[in-house]
Amino acid sequence: MMKHIASFLLVLFIPALALGTPAKAPGAIRIGALYASSGPFASSSLPQYHGLQFWVNQVNKSGGVLVKAYGKRIPIKLIAYDNQSKTSLAGTLYSQLLTRDKVNMLVADFGSVLTSVAVPLARVHRTLLFDVTGTSARFFTPGNPYIVLTSLPTSGIWPTTLANFLIHRKIRRIALLYSTNDFDDSQAKTLRRKLKAAGITPVYDHGVPSNTSSYAVLIHGIAARRAEAVIELGYPNNDIAFLQDLKASGVHFNLVFTVFPGQLLSLMKKNVGDKVLTWTYTYPTPPLLKHRRINYGPTLADFISSYTRDTRREVNFLTIAGYNAGLIIQKTLETSASLKPLAMRRAIGKFSGRIKTLNGLFKVNTEGAQIGETLPVGQLQRVNGKLRMEVVYPLKVKTAEARYPAPRPTH
Amino acid sequence: MNLLEYALLAGLFYGLYFALVGVGLNLIFGVMRIINLAHGDFLMLGAYGAFYLYHLLGWNPLWAIPIELVVFLLIGLPLYYLLVPRLQKSGDPEMLSFILFFGLSQVIEAAAVFVFSNNQRSIPASVFGGAPINIAGQVFPVSWIVSAAVGLAGIGLIYAYLYHSRPGRATRAIMAERSEAAATGISVNRISALAFGIGIAAAALAGIFSPFMIGAIEPSMGIGITVISFAIIVIGSLGNPIGTLLGGLIYGEALMLMQTYLASWSELLPYVLLILILLVRPTGLLERAVRSA
Repeated sequence: MMKHIASFLLVLFIPALALGTPAKAPGAIRIGALYASSGPFASSSLPQYHGLQFWVNQVNKSGGVLVKAYGKRIPIKLIAYDNQSKTSLAGTLYSQLLTRDKVNMLVADFGSVLTSVAVPLARVHRTLLFDVTGTSARFFTPGNPYIVLTSLPTSGIWPTTLANFLIHRKIRRIALLYSTNDFDDSQAKTLRRKLKAAGITPVYDHGVPSNTSSYAVLIHGIAARRAEAVIELGYPNNDIAFLQDLKASGVHFNLVFTVFPGQLLSLMKKNVGDKVLTWTYTYPTPPLLKHRRINYGPTLADFISSYTRDTRREVNFLTIAGYNAGLIIQKTLETSASLKPLAMRRAIGKFSGRIKTLNGLFKVNTEGAQIGETLPVGQLQRVNGKLRMEVVYPLKVKTAEARYPAPRPTH
Repeated sequence: MNLLEYALLAGLFYGLYFALVGVGLNLIFGVMRIINLAHGDFLMLGAYGAFYLYHLLGWNPLWAIPIELVVFLLIGLPLYYLLVPRLQKSGDPEMLSFILFFGLSQVIEAAAVFVFSNNQRSIPASVFGGAPINIAGQVFPVSWIVSAAVGLAGIGLIYAYLYHSRPGRATRAIMAERSEAAATGISVNRISALAFGIGIAAAALAGIFSPFMIGAIEPSMGIGITVISFAIIVIGSLGNPIGTLLGGLIYGEALMLMQTYLASWSELLPYVLLILILLVRPTGLLERAVRSA
């Protein structure tokens, strides 16, 4: 009888003992990431990856990241593969990170194209995806709790301020030229919708393939419609080709807007020159846009100083975006009671809207889409012979008046 | 402003340039019956050459023409002896050339990433003068006119070489029938090596003007260029360098018309043209100029 009672008590207490024992902490937090060392996305993907890598190095130097679930600091192990800007290869490598490397979380590669393959995989494998710059609105759906956009708002939100600016300036003859990918398509849709609500129908509205490299004929077509403003939405290679061809064609518009001078100014300057960029409008982002009252992570100035000192590389927006993803992961691990993806997602929901990093306010909606920062409208202006980014809209944050219409260039 | 007129004139300039893009690939195929899938990568190297001459030494891209013609001709000669005679000895050199030159393309691209990095590079179009030129009431960038003129001159020089020079006549004899040419005492390897070098130099020459006609330079641009070149030479007839001019003009006109009226579909153009020509006239538009083996 006593033997039976002892067995019963043993069966009863063993699980209780097991539950009471703190789980063994892993040797490292495994973060899976991809980057593109070649192909059309390389110039954007590499700085983003370098920013993330810099965060990992910084954290590991200080003994690891504080993980609340284990009450101690644990080093980060970054497992990263090169997808060569190919979505098919990216899909295979994301799968490899999830199934073979068994990462605790994924960090997506640059942009919507390379992030698109990660979104369904992260969902199927129930792993939290930290989406750095994949801003397509299609990624964020009510049934998918496995994605968090860390850096920019979804691309559908980007042109909100731009549309308001165009309406505010009473510019009615607007040309819309965009690349046919999720990122630019969703911006075009928003812009079209907002303008339509203000009674403006673009005089030119065309999508072109993302690999378009010759814009001269398209520019000519826009000029034929007597457009006052041209909004060109593309990736960096599109913006470079568009601005080059605009300059070479000799056609002048009162307002020209492109996306990437505000994110990769140095690259754009090298390729198209200061003269072509002068008076161009764009979405300014850090480091061209400086956020104040930061309450998490280093200030922009401190980051630039330490990053350039340690890596000898230049800081652009994508470096900051990659580093910022690291900061959000850090805060998640400091806050979450468990490493389970849904627990981490809940933790993110709790600090969402409360932390402000060098990249601005981090705030996500229930679908994981970033809603913290709207992108203002900036104009590259020539001040004392130098090109300077000035915020020209919204009025409450503007640093200078917009030069509209843009002065005609002299040949 | 007449959009159709503009598109047609722009198509003419682009066509002349694209003829130059394709002519090297066609010359090599015509003489050696091998497909140089690294063609676009040699063009990319030519583009980087012009870029660095401009950015490091401040040289106008026109100065890159004689330099690159010599340099790439000299690269082509040993490369021929290293690769092609071995291919010719194999049972199916045409098929094997696909594999070998695809490998070479990958090697060149990887090396270019290593040496030049991934950032897009460009040369400002203003190097040829800032003000655009008015032609028939339409305004065109100077860089287009220069690129088209160089394209036309390049095709003209290759034509003159093939039809009015001794090695050129020997080249045409090899294009007609390799073994018969060898039997008449033509040094097939020497003439073929020269054709290979000229083909690669023509690609590099086209590369010098690619920042103005194709867009930013980057290490991975080669494959796309090779596909376009392939479409152009299939339209004109594989192995017929003169047909390349026609192929280039058709491609240029079609591209500009597509961009004007059906911009969203312009990406499909090389593939659509390839399929159409293969369905309608598989031997190309100038088939009779080539004698089948």
